[in-house]
Formats: sequence, C-alpha cells, structure tokens
Amino acid sequence: MNGEMGCEQVRELAPELAIGIADGQDRDAALRHAVTCPDCRRLVAGLSTVVDDLLLLAPTQEPPPGFAARTVARISPPAARHRWASRPAARHVPAGRRWLPRLAVAASIIAALAVGAGTVYQGTASDRRLADSYRAVLAQGHGSFFAAAPLRGPTGTAGTLFGYQGSPSWLWATVHLPDATAQRFTVQLITRDGRHLPAGTAVLGGTHHTWSALIPVNLTNVTQLRFVAASGQTTMVAHLNARSPWGSG
Amino acid sequence: MWTLSDEALLAGLGSGDPEAAAAFVHRFQRRVFGMTLSILRDRQAAEEAAQEAFVRAWRHASTYDPRKGTVAAWLLMIARNVSINMLPSHRSYPVDPEVLLGLQDPGPSQDPGPSQDRDSQLAPVSEPIREALMRLPAEQRRALVLAVFYGYTAREVSEQDGTPVGTVKTRIRAALMRLRSELGVSDER
Repeated sequence: MNGEMGCEQVRELAPELAIGIADGQDRDAALRHAVTCPDCRRLVAGLSTVVDDLLLLAPTQEPPPGFAARTVARISPPAARHRWASRPAARHVPAGRRWLPRLAVAASIIAALAVGAGTVYQGTASDRRLADSYRAVLAQGHGSFFAAAPLRGPTGTAGTLFGYQGSPSWLWATVHLPDATAQRFTVQLITRDGRHLPAGTAVLGGTHHTWSALIPVNLTNVTQLRFVAASGQTTMVAHLNARSPWGSG
Repeated sequence: MWTLSDEALLAGLGSGDPEAAAAFVHRFQRRVFGMTLSILRDRQAAEEAAQEAFVRAWRHASTYDPRKGTVAAWLLMIARNVSINMLPSHRSYPVDPEVLLGLQDPGPSQDPGPSQDRDSQLAPVSEPIREALMRLPAEQRRALVLAVFYGYTAREVSEQDGTPVGTVKTRIRAALMRLRSELGVSDER
C-alpha cells in the first residue's frame, strides 16, 4: 500500500505491526500515521506488550558448556579488559591532557547524575528509569561504574571523593577547607598491592574547591587517596573500596 | 551477588564491562538459547544465533527503551530475528507451533525435537498468557504462533495452511485482540 493511511487501516494492520511482520511499505505508512495519532500509537503499543509476553513462552534450554565464556569473549575481547593494567603508570600523566575535555564533560555528568539519581529515588520513577539514566551516563563517558567516599580532614569530613571506572578512569574530589588561603598539596594514590603512585598536585582552600586527575590503574585497585601538605603531613585522606556492581560480591 | 535489575545489567553490558557482560549472559542464556533452539532445531546453529543475539544486545544496548517493554522481551525479539534470518528456507520449514510451546504433548510416536528435552522449562511469569493462549481456537493459535515465533507473514501462513490470506489476517488479529483483552493489557505505554 502506498500513500497515507487512516485510523481504520492502521487498526487493521496493528497486529502485524506489533508482531513485526507487516510489509515494509505498509509499515512505513502506518508508522507515519501513528506518529500523529495517539490512539493508533497506543493500540500498537498495547498489542506489542502482548507479543512481548508471548515471546516469554519460548522454552528455556541449558546451552552447551562454555557458552557463556565464548559469548562474553565476543563481547569484550581479553585485550580490552586489561588495557590499563598493561600500561606503565608514568605514561599516563602527560597523555591525560588529551582527555581533559572529556574529563570535564564526565565531571559535569556525574554532578547531574547525583542530582538526577536523588530525584529519581525520592520521586515515583522506577528502577528502570534510574538504570536508564545510569546507562546513558556510562555510555557517554565510556565507563563501567561510579564510586564515592568521604574525604576526611583534620576536623572531620572535608569533602567527597568520586571515582569513575572507565576509559579513562578518573577521580574527582570536592573539598571545603576552612582556610582562607589556598595551599598546595601533593596527591598520592595507594593501591591494593601497596604501591604509592603520584597523582599530581592540588591547590585547595580559599576559592579552590575541586581537584581531579586521571588514574593509571583500575578503580577497584585504589584503596586510598591522600593529600599531602608541603610539610609532608597527610592532611586529607579518602578510603576507597570500589567494586564493580556487575560482578559477584 | 546482589540482585541487579535486568535494566541495570543491560546498562553494564552496554558499557562494555566484562563482569556485567558475564552476569547478563548468565541471567538470560537459557531463555535466549531456548528461543534460538526452538526455531532452528540445531544446537550448533542455535548457539551461533544465541551468541549473535547477545552481541547485538551489547552493541545496541543504548537503544533499549524500558517504556517499550522488558529487557527479556527485547532480547528475545533480537534472538528471534537472528534465528529467522539464519533459517536457510524457513518458509517451507516443517513446524508445529503447538509442540514448540509445549501446548500439546508431542506423543510417543513423534520426535519431540531438541526444544522438548526433559529439562525444558517455562518461565513462571508466562503462565497467564499460556493459559490464555490455550483458550484460543486452535486455528487462531497456530496462525499467531507462526507469526510471532517464526516471523511468518499472513501470506506465508496462508500458503502453508492453504487458507485465504484474509482469513489468516483475521485469525491473527482476533487472537491478539482476545489475548490483550484477557490479559487486561491497556493501550498505554
């Protein structure tokens, strides 16, 4: 069928549209109509729900041994899983500059996510919507998950450390020091295997409230982030115990 | 492992996280393989189709819209489409939709096919629609199942069953509308 369709024709075709067996030209014409017709759109959507339920009737079957491993290997090649672990840490500091614009975008996203997630949980939106937002954020930033931990200072909580596992992985700290004048800190990462990795410097206090850096290791390998003052004393520390939400545990 | 929603796992899959991918595959592999095996009736081809379905889910995870249906249904539709495309000549493929869905005992003299292995199970959530499907007239049920699971068009069902196209269309429409009514599905989503 060519040309435009009316409601009556679309209603006739609705079951085939919902099942996905309508002829291409008919489907295009019907969908053009449905875009501007809420009643027809709702009818097709309702029938699609029934089709979805029908698909769940298919019998389940145990796949052959090793199926899951073979499938996952096609989805995420081994080389990609260890891309960070195989690189020396020192190479990442200068290379990180290339990622600064993306880091800034990701940081703005995480701020938006924090607000959005809170609103979602407090409102009536479902877990699905939250997951959808989370997925969109992760997809935008090429990431796997977020983590957060309090940043402790001499007089209590001094801020929050956010971590992002992705490509690249990064840390972002919001800090509120009572000092009116800014101080320079050396920042250190402590890994699970006890390594102390330099993570650049930070100027905090006064009007300076944030610090961020790309990290050369998987976020799950970071146990501490330390801000060390010029005197050599650790002024602030955050303890991270990030774990991928997708794995077991 | 704590229970993550299907949507959250799909988000992890889409992000390329290997652990999320493993969890997602583990959760849905029996359903997806069951779907592909039911259609293809060949374990090697079914595995290939099931793997391809997961790969497509990974590539297109960002297109999933929770307002349009569940993750399981979205994934099974992908698996169905992959399987149909892999059938060399599915139009003439002998198929008994009643047996496919376990709606009818294949009987001792019939080959039940790989989809009717002893450990075959059906998802508990599907029972209301299974019962509603069973209440449909047999000719309506057959036309609907051929279309939904095998992608047969009304014309193809007509050619296979020797029934006028208009009659097949009417059967599919009547079956789907009756299921919608019996299941109390609203037209809002």
